[in-house]
Amino acid sequence: MKALRAVQLTKVYRKSKQPALDSLDLEIDSGQIFTMLGRNGAGKTTFLRIASTQLMPTSGSVEVLGLDAVREAKQLREKIAITPQEAETIYPLTPRDHVLLNLRMRGLPKEEAKRRAQEALDDLELTEVADVNSDWLSGGLKQRVIVAMALRTDAELIFLDEPSIGLDPVNRRRVWDQLTRLKKDGKTIILTTHYMDEAEALSDNLVIVSRGKVVAAGTPQSVRASVTQRTTRVDVYDKFNQSELGKYGHAVSIAGRFRVLTDENGAKDLGDEAVARGARVALSPVTLDDVFVDIVGEAEKEEEDER
Amino acid sequence: MSARKRLRSLWAIMYYLGFTPMIRNPLFIAFVFSTPFTLLFILFVASNGSALPYGLAGALTMVTTELGLFVGTDLASYKIQNRFQDIVVASPVSPLVYMFGVALSELIFGAPALIVLFGLMAGQGASVVSLAASLGVVLLLWVTTTSLGFFFSAYAPNTQNAFIINGFITTLLSVLPPVYYSVNVLPKFLVPFAEIIPTTEASALFQGTIGLGYSISPVSGFVVLLASTMLMLILVSFRMRWREN
Ligand SMILES: Nc1ncnc2c1ncn2[C@@H]1O[C@H](COP(=O)(O)OP(=O)(O)OP(=O)(O)O)[C@@H](O)[C@H]1O
Ligand SMILES: [Mg+2]
Repeated sequence: MKALRAVQLTKVYRKSKQPALDSLDLEIDSGQIFTMLGRNGAGKTTFLRIASTQLMPTSGSVEVLGLDAVREAKQLREKIAITPQEAETIYPLTPRDHVLLNLRMRGLPKEEAKRRAQEALDDLELTEVADVNSDWLSGGLKQRVIVAMALRTDAELIFLDEPSIGLDPVNRRRVWDQLTRLKKDGKTIILTTHYMDEAEALSDNLVIVSRGKVVAAGTPQSVRASVTQRTTRVDVYDKFNQSELGKYGHAVSIAGRFRVLTDENGAKDLGDEAVARGARVALSPVTLDDVFVDIVGEAEKEEEDER
Repeated sequence: MSARKRLRSLWAIMYYLGFTPMIRNPLFIAFVFSTPFTLLFILFVASNGSALPYGLAGALTMVTTELGLFVGTDLASYKIQNRFQDIVVASPVSPLVYMFGVALSELIFGAPALIVLFGLMAGQGASVVSLAASLGVVLLLWVTTTSLGFFFSAYAPNTQNAFIINGFITTLLSVLPPVYYSVNVLPKFLVPFAEIIPTTEASALFQGTIGLGYSISPVSGFVVLLASTMLMLILVSFRMRWREN
């Protein structure tokens, strides 16, 4: 069964000419962890807000759990929960208050809500600070409070907009564990992130969005492997300039060195040349990070060429 | 959501956004008291006590106005700053329950001030009937100003703006017009303008019930108040959008 199906979904905000979503088509299976990647302003939040009944699309349609997000919003809202991007804690509530507020507001009886709130707080190691004023918490702790609010609801589908933003690696993994647990419980998780390792570790499927369009879709492995033939990355530290590297593959300048994404033959040729010149190079398989930069860069370039 | 769940929902919002902040930070209560009771005090000392009833009618009007308009500031914060409203929209909680919950939370903040004022009115010899009538007027005015709060929150681009608008409108509605004084002392040409302001009507009704005599006929006062309440509700229902465009 499909958890979400978007058809030609388009959003043009008032006072803006560029569409934030541009005839986007997307299908998401239920019971999955699905990730949306894309540069700042690509349209991820816009998509999540439309699908979760917070924002009207300009045209096109989106069905979530078999319900039209515009016409059947009321029924749909019974089945979803969200973690918004950049939400803030409410003064002077404690982390426990936040979680309880959300659970009880959603109609859970008091004792049940209390039990679940404790679980959600334990899930994200908020137990120690559960009863202090949220204003005193560090940024990452506040973010965990916001995520904790969505972890133990009855929702069948949860949208999370950059849930792990500002979290240290240990706590990011803690969030991953929770999302995986939710999936095991049969729920569908749709999230956005800028962390490629997160997308890779967590998602069953992912899309890369650029300027409101899907430019790559599939499993993390397939996106990494099939969307680009460039399987190898060569970091070149000296003795080459960017233009001569172009003939081996896609070359970009990063932090004082050049990174060339290429296939195995290109890597071999470049390696031979580097040995001949005595240049410092390092070979490694491409990461999703590289693929992202590559794909998004290419998509943006194509679009500019079209104009 | 079933009716039972709706009630739980309403209670949760009132409990966590009304009671809890009030108990944790009593400054919220002091804030509600501050301006209305300062004006009451000034009237009281400046008139050697004789203007106390006007002060009471004024303070009652002002407290109610403040409580309604606070809804605007709070809603703007919950929406723009905390993104809490986003969480509510994408949840089974109905807009009506949310709005009502936030509005009642404000009433909880104001309850101490209202109780003190009703106590003082009783002390001035107001009968049970007139106190009950005043309570009715408080409720009507509260609906009007709360709707006004909703209305402004929908336009506020940020929380600072919401706060400024709120302060400005509070003064405009409850200090400038005949709220702490009688409409009769105004120059004649200003009276019709004053009489279309709901706070003028409310205060005139309070003044009447505590024995200062009705400067505006209670029937017409009540009608104007009711009409402005209806008008505000209609305005709000057009303007409030649960889902953004
Ligand atoms: N309320 C709004 N009014 C007008 N334009 C908007 C609004 N919200 C977003 N946009 C524009 O729509 C586009 C997509 O924004 P969106 O927030 O969906 O991006 P995003 O992929 O979530 O980015 P980020 O990674 O920075 O969160 C951007 O160009 C943005 O400027
Ligand atoms: Mg975003």
